[in-house]
Amino acid sequence: MSHLIHIELDRLEGSLLRILGLVERRGFNIDGAELYDLGEDKRGLSLTVRPRDLSRSLDILGLQIDRLYGIKRLASDPRGQATPSPTEPKAKINA
Amino acid sequence: MSNQPTGAQLVISTLKALGVETLFGYPGGAIMPIYDALAGSGLKHILVRHEQGAAFAADAYARATGSVGVCMATSGPGATNLITGIANAYMDSVPVVCITGQVATHLMGTDGFQEVDILGICLPIVKHSWLVRDPADIPAILAEAFAIAAEGRPGPVLVDIPKDVAAAHVAVSSAASFPEWTPPAPDAGAIKAAEKLIEQAKHPLLYIGGGVEIGDASKEVRDLVARTGIPAVSTLKGIGTLPTTDDLYLGMLGMHGTRAANIAVQDADLLIALGARFDDRATGKLNAFAPNAKIIHADIDPAEINKLRKADVAIVGDLKKTVAGLNPKMPGIQKWVEKCKADKWEHRFKYNAPGKGIYAPGLLKSLSEKAGDKFIAACDVGQHQMWVAQHCEFAHNRAHLTSGGSGAMGYGLPAGVGAKLAKPDHHVVTISGDGSFMMNIQEMATLNRYNIPLKIVLLDNSSLGLVRQWQELFYQENYSEIDLSDNPDFVEVAKAFGLSAFRITHRHEVEGALDKLLAAEGPTLLHVLIDPRENVWPLVPPGASNAEMMEERWDEPLDSY
Repeated sequence: MSHLIHIELDRLEGSLLRILGLVERRGFNIDGAELYDLGEDKRGLSLTVRPRDLSRSLDILGLQIDRLYGIKRLASDPRGQATPSPTEPKAKINA
Repeated sequence: MSNQPTGAQLVISTLKALGVETLFGYPGGAIMPIYDALAGSGLKHILVRHEQGAAFAADAYARATGSVGVCMATSGPGATNLITGIANAYMDSVPVVCITGQVATHLMGTDGFQEVDILGICLPIVKHSWLVRDPADIPAILAEAFAIAAEGRPGPVLVDIPKDVAAAHVAVSSAASFPEWTPPAPDAGAIKAAEKLIEQAKHPLLYIGGGVEIGDASKEVRDLVARTGIPAVSTLKGIGTLPTTDDLYLGMLGMHGTRAANIAVQDADLLIALGARFDDRATGKLNAFAPNAKIIHADIDPAEINKLRKADVAIVGDLKKTVAGLNPKMPGIQKWVEKCKADKWEHRFKYNAPGKGIYAPGLLKSLSEKAGDKFIAACDVGQHQMWVAQHCEFAHNRAHLTSGGSGAMGYGLPAGVGAKLAKPDHHVVTISGDGSFMMNIQEMATLNRYNIPLKIVLLDNSSLGLVRQWQELFYQENYSEIDLSDNPDFVEVAKAFGLSAFRITHRHEVEGALDKLLAAEGPTLLHVLIDPRENVWPLVPPGASNAEMMEERWDEPLDSY
């Protein structure tokens, strides 16, 4: 089952690698990623993720994301369908 | 020449403003501006002989003091040599700030000499990291780095500083400060719910992890045990929270835990996990761990709750306040307590090993008793590490320094350097094996240079003992690459580094040798030859439940070597 996670990133060195690495390392495949400009030194990231096995919990992944600095989890959708981000993307940019 | 400070000078002045007195490092090309500013600064820099030694020494300094440890290295290989130490601090939640030099900004990304993307390499093993682009940011970044390293669940933080950024002059007048972090208070409702579970329990048990020491909650845990009478087990990192001589302390749980501790966990109907993370070495087969127990899980890190074992009651927040707030009306648990104590007595360790060879567990127990309340063990990794956890007596925490989550061989000697500098009035003893000791043997030069009176007990079985044990028990005695019988003469090596050193080979020599070691004035190594066939017992086989412990066998007398 896929999940969609919306994340806000500060424009800090390595922040994108930090979040992508964490998601993969904690046992999730990344099936899709969209990066958005949120202005004011912020970027939005929507990730479609899928656990590699049933022991991996999206709730725990969310809490592990919350531990990162300069990275804020906005929402996650366990139904795997795209829902509007609480912060509306301003402009799509290339990831 | 500009009157404005350089980025490097800001690094040094900010470190001083943040209260740093001692740091560990090794200079090189890209970090030369910072070492230039360091000279004459008043900061006590310990020049180690390998950057890994700097990271481990800073880690142990932090563990022994509860403050932030600091290490420095240059770019490229200097930085990559820190990595094992950074990972070690990450796995054991130790606050360390690592400052690395980086090649100049215009060379970054060009495969410059000694260039490596240390920020990228370290992303999975740091709490946070920075690449400094503007020297004016240095005070604020360093202040934030220290705050992040120490707050909540601590961990290592990396600050990578390009050479040109360190060399540039900048108009910054004062060091930045960072707001002090206050741990969140635990939820009162969760504490009430926990009290209710305790009041309903017939077989409650405390499961003490390293988070108690980190959260400065040891006194509160001791008080909790005193007012409730609930027995306790600890993880490897929780050792020392309760005095190991406490009647209600059943020992370490898990793979090499005591039988009494593992029996109690399996029989418990309520497990109160305090700053513990249900690590696989502690739980054994997870779905057979504490099968009848409800779980109260208290931790500062919400990501640990329900990660491996579902909690019936979760308490996230300040462990000190959590434990102090637990005041259940205790049910009658006397029968349970008596059973735990009876199991502890029945399965106590015995020290009457046959033969004339030196019985390492007995030596270690005696060492800790002779050293007393001021004993600090800086362990390496292997059989000796497990024997220390099982057999040494610890009166308080921050005294058992061990590479727990990472299991990094080579930790012991540089950790001893850091711990002895942090606690000069304590009996700091590095306890190592012949495999581990060779991994950072060069740090004897650091002991000699600064005349750090660290004591070293080197238990030498001429092999990689724990690997050999597993090959014996689980790989049909197919001994593969574990023979270290061509070790150098460690006494002569130690003497060549400027240490005092002596060797014992027979059991009757042990007591006198320990007395001599502890009374020695300078850095001293005691080389102890032990029987390579000796194993660590008990042992939970890999993949088995903690109920399935293999027991000690003394089929043959121990030989002397």
